[in-house]
Amino acid sequence: MNPFVFHTPTRVYFGEDSASSCGDFLRELGGKKVLMVADAFLEKSGALKPLIESIRESTGSAPILFTDVPSDSDIDCVNNATAIARTNQCDALVAVGGGSVIDTAKVINICLSFGGEVMDYQGLNIIERKVYPLIAVPTTAGTGAEVSFVAMVKDHGEGKKLMFGSRFLAPDVAILDPLMIVSLPAKLTAATGIDAITHGIECYVASGTYSVFTDAICLESLRLLFEFLPQATVDGGNIEARGATLVASCMAGVAFTNSGVGITHALAHAVGAKYATHHGMTNAVFLPHGMRFNLDTVYPRYARIAQFLGFADEENNGDERALASLLVNKVEALLGKLQLPLTLRELGVPEFSDENLAELTDLAAADPAIMFNPREASSDDLTQLLKRAY
Amino acid sequence: MAVFTDTDELHRVMNDLWTSIKNEKEMAAQLLSSRLIVTFHYREPDGRLTVDCSDGQEMVITVGDCNKKPVVEMFMKSSVAHEFWLGKVNVPLALIQGKIVSKGPVNKALALLPAIKPAYGLYPSVIEKNGLKVSIT
Repeated sequence: MNPFVFHTPTRVYFGEDSASSCGDFLRELGGKKVLMVADAFLEKSGALKPLIESIRESTGSAPILFTDVPSDSDIDCVNNATAIARTNQCDALVAVGGGSVIDTAKVINICLSFGGEVMDYQGLNIIERKVYPLIAVPTTAGTGAEVSFVAMVKDHGEGKKLMFGSRFLAPDVAILDPLMIVSLPAKLTAATGIDAITHGIECYVASGTYSVFTDAICLESLRLLFEFLPQATVDGGNIEARGATLVASCMAGVAFTNSGVGITHALAHAVGAKYATHHGMTNAVFLPHGMRFNLDTVYPRYARIAQFLGFADEENNGDERALASLLVNKVEALLGKLQLPLTLRELGVPEFSDENLAELTDLAAADPAIMFNPREASSDDLTQLLKRAY
Repeated sequence: MAVFTDTDELHRVMNDLWTSIKNEKEMAAQLLSSRLIVTFHYREPDGRLTVDCSDGQEMVITVGDCNKKPVVEMFMKSSVAHEFWLGKVNVPLALIQGKIVSKGPVNKALALLPAIKPAYGLYPSVIEKNGLKVSIT
């Protein structure tokens, strides 16, 4: 068995209406004045009310609400929210929203806890002690941000994504409440779900970092997603399906934050950075290409996934290559069923000039996710994959 | 047993290694094209080395204090650095384990990993030249 490290500091609480228990956790964690970072539409829809009430009951005051978070959050947003939190002497955070909101809250928490500027903390493992309590309530089922150690926000001035990584950044509590995601539109349900599937598949074959812990978590996460993502997409009000995707996404988050992702994410980050495409949908486009690129290197691992998901039959059982290829085909079939874009062109990416292609190749080659890919990818490999995905 | 007996020995070995890298045209060209300034902070024993590629023309190597502001800083035990140059460190795992700390835009530094791989082949001779009695296999 290879050496590994597995760590998950986040307490996960799942259940219908569990979000209204937020205050109980805050009481336990010791937060008195809360900054709530949330998607603006949640405030308008009234979805935050049970949380706000619960926080008011446990702390004696309503949280300070910050909803000015763009879909591609940036350091200006972090600085604004941090200033508000400092003025109000906040000592705890609650993040309610998708990955961008939760990541923003993590970075605000760094600045609030330690002072200084955002840029002082960019990097991996710099933060070596506990930050203020943070509770995350995801409203999408895909990013795994509610349990991950990493946060990314954009520096729009420089046109770059900034990465912050430390195990101390992980939220203290993740509240998985299916009622918080029932209104997520079908297309976003499918796209964020595919992000979680990509986490599970890439983590399962990550280069020398996966472990028996992440293996078990990835497999069960993938089983839940293959079974319930189509149902949650077609029928958003199906609480069982919503709950299953929420849990599966969280599991995939636990796994990838311990073992990493791979080439699909590296390419999706590159295209997303340049053309502001949706992360889940961009992963959907690249996932079959990324899997085929890795197939020769990790086909026994893909075969294990296929077997676990029940794809083996009399014809292919025992034939690892056939099973691995079958898994890629099943992923493609799922993408079709979910009616997700299958090419970058469909995503609205303009035709590549040589210059743009070179820039995207460089961005993908420099993306930290590429480090975890099981097969080394040359610049030429990345360029070919970009072309193929177009 | 520690790999390096003291800071002087650590500095001597790392300086020799980076000088060898600087003399390898292809490797040096790739590093210079990054225009990065990277400072390596070592502990047990303590040490520091800065590689400045900022002008894109000449790689400037400074051991100890350096007045150039680094773009990226890497922190690790000297023994981890030794293992790294022997090609024995799984960098992703070391980052996950917290054995390597990276400050700044880590992607810029990680993008150079493939470029410096040939230096693994240079390191054993640097170790031998400096008379270190450590395993290099």
